Amino acid sequence: MGTNRNVDRRTILKAAGATAATLGLASTTACGGDGGTSADGTVTIRYAWWGAEDRAQRINKTIELFHKKYPKIKVKTDFQPYTDFWKKFNTQASGGNPPDVFQNAIGFLRKYDAKNVLLDLSEQVKAGNLSMDGFRAGLEKFGEIDGKLLGVPVGSNSMALVIDKPVYTKAGVKPEQGWTWDDYHAAMQKIRDKAGRAGDTGPYNVMYLYDLYLRQNGKAFFTEDGLGFSEADLTDWWTKARKSVEEGLYADVKKVAQIKPKSAVTGELSGGEFTWDNFTIRYTSEGKSEYGLAPIPTTDGKKTGQYLGSLMLSASKRTEHPKEVAQFIDFMVHDPEVAKIMGYDRGVPATQAQFDAFEPTDEVNKAIAAYETSLVEAGVLEPITPHPAGADICEAAFLRIGEELGLGKRSVGDAVKQFFTESKTALAS
Amino acid sequence: MGTPVTHAPAMESLTQDSEPRHGPVGPERPAALKRRVRRENLAGYLFMSPWIAGFLLLTAGPMAASLYFAFTDYNLFDAPKWIGLDNFSEMFGDPRWRHSVQVTLWYVVVGTPLKLLAALGVALLLAQKRRGQAFYRAAFYAPSLIGASVSVAIVWKAIFSDDAIVDRTQKIFGIDVGGWTGDPDLIIYSLVALTVWQFGAPMVIFLAGLKQVPRELYEAAEVDGAGTLRRFWNITLPMISPVLFFNVLLETIHSFQIFSSAYIVGGGAGGNACGPADGSMVYTCYLYVQGFENSRMGLASAMAWMLLVAVALVTAVLFWSQKRWVHYEEGAR
Repeated sequence: MGTNRNVDRRTILKAAGATAATLGLASTTACGGDGGTSADGTVTIRYAWWGAEDRAQRINKTIELFHKKYPKIKVKTDFQPYTDFWKKFNTQASGGNPPDVFQNAIGFLRKYDAKNVLLDLSEQVKAGNLSMDGFRAGLEKFGEIDGKLLGVPVGSNSMALVIDKPVYTKAGVKPEQGWTWDDYHAAMQKIRDKAGRAGDTGPYNVMYLYDLYLRQNGKAFFTEDGLGFSEADLTDWWTKARKSVEEGLYADVKKVAQIKPKSAVTGELSGGEFTWDNFTIRYTSEGKSEYGLAPIPTTDGKKTGQYLGSLMLSASKRTEHPKEVAQFIDFMVHDPEVAKIMGYDRGVPATQAQFDAFEPTDEVNKAIAAYETSLVEAGVLEPITPHPAGADICEAAFLRIGEELGLGKRSVGDAVKQFFTESKTALAS
Repeated sequence: MGTPVTHAPAMESLTQDSEPRHGPVGPERPAALKRRVRRENLAGYLFMSPWIAGFLLLTAGPMAASLYFAFTDYNLFDAPKWIGLDNFSEMFGDPRWRHSVQVTLWYVVVGTPLKLLAALGVALLLAQKRRGQAFYRAAFYAPSLIGASVSVAIVWKAIFSDDAIVDRTQKIFGIDVGGWTGDPDLIIYSLVALTVWQFGAPMVIFLAGLKQVPRELYEAAEVDGAGTLRRFWNITLPMISPVLFFNVLLETIHSFQIFSSAYIVGGGAGGNACGPADGSMVYTCYLYVQGFENSRMGLASAMAWMLLVAVALVTAVLFWSQKRWVHYEEGAR
């Protein structure tokens, strides 16, 4: 009996060993087979972006189209909402496994360049796999940093004031290009008094708007390695903001937070708010009123400080298929069919060919096109100021601390101090 | 590990008792025994190896790494840089960190007793024999099973957000505060409500404890004229105090570690991950922000070790205090 048991045990051990070996083997294949090139020469690239369902449907359609034109390149996609996207990307990139090509924005360019994550696409431009011709309004320079091409713009947008049109009409306010901050302030009062609603949501914590205000005054939010304004500047900006919240010119911050993710404008808490012009689409699908775009107020009646912002496509330095990635980006930014599918979802198309291909038929997209055209015609556009590494964290802090200020959880002095402390840490690391 | 060793002599005696058909075994016995013991130990370790590997790779290794990172500046991309105690001094000087400590302590101090009260209350009700007892027990236990899941947190957010069921019900009674989850002062209450709702696990333990209380004690007390309250205070509570202690300990430790529900109810996807104006920024939430949003893994590791030390201290205090209030039966200690 004893012998018998031993035999049994030996068999079990063998079986266990075999299982362990198989598992080991399986894991090796799983890790090793990630080259993305299969036997018939088909290459697989991974494409990650942030956004929601609606954008996913559009992007999937553009990829179908891409597969038809480039049958040897397979594209696998992955998407998350904005903040989750960057957490995942960060983890993947630090583990040496970032997606081959991904959506990017100005605030992240220097950050990931400093961490050696971004591929310099200029090699691919020279090799003829990617064309940088035919971009609108100098956008081809947008993703260039220190002579390296780190991103290719897919669409441009600009800051705007989204307004609830009937509310503005009721208050008798007509914003025009070149109106001043004083005019704007008077308008807020009129809206409060005549339309019975706060005029704005909370302009004081929109980093990109404060950037425009600073640019109007010869400064900027960021320099290449730090903040481009002083504590006194911010104290001034936030003191006025605090007063306006107390006077009911700006919406009740608590209510604004409570109705999230709905916006304060569609939630009828405020008559308008500063945001990116292509976001207007969201308001129309969310709210019942009619929404329009108004120009940015100015300091001197002329200069708005505006520039075209843009979403970009960047590639990973570790990609094994730089050529295919370049071809993919080239297709996405130049192919007219892509523009017809994407519309203004990621801003107004960056290339002239795509801009011409999509002719908006609905009111909202028409308004966006008209707004951007008016910016070009008014000649207010300027080059963008740099965003140093850590800019994304500064923006998050600005938003959060601004909200706490509006809620009355912090005094102006305290808020300014806290913002500068957090920014210094973020920009130093 | 103990089993093979004790098992071997037993088998030896078995061979001894059987007829000597296998020829002379006497002289070989010590060597054979040793070999067998060794083989059996080996088998034992082999069967344990998945667990050992898992422990080394997934627990011990990361813990050691995190202890090292706690003294470094590490952003995931560049090699960790040794900075000594800087992470800890930065932590104590950071008002956001102090705020997260406050929020967590508040949550533990308010949430844990409420949860245990609910657990004990329902356990007392369910301890009595009644029809459908099994159903009630299962029904009250169910939230604990699914409670830690992401989906429940999402549902919770939907229940307590603006213009949702709680908000509308409040309005019927003329209380208009808007959604809880969007209110920096109220969001933490919705988290407390969530943890109280998951009282099932301590309830089951209380039930087991209540079953252990000898009936004679109640009968004797009743004869002496003790009322319900009196019986509860003087018999039930002291008799279940070891179980109570166990639950207090476990739930306190759990509460300190709250993360997923706070992260999801407080924002999760999009915007501030820690609720409006950091209203639900519990300790682990801020740890997550520092680690994954700000890429400061060194600082996050230091925070994690700080939490470990804090929980260990609280546990030690609870163990010390049990001498004063936990009653063990003679010889059961």
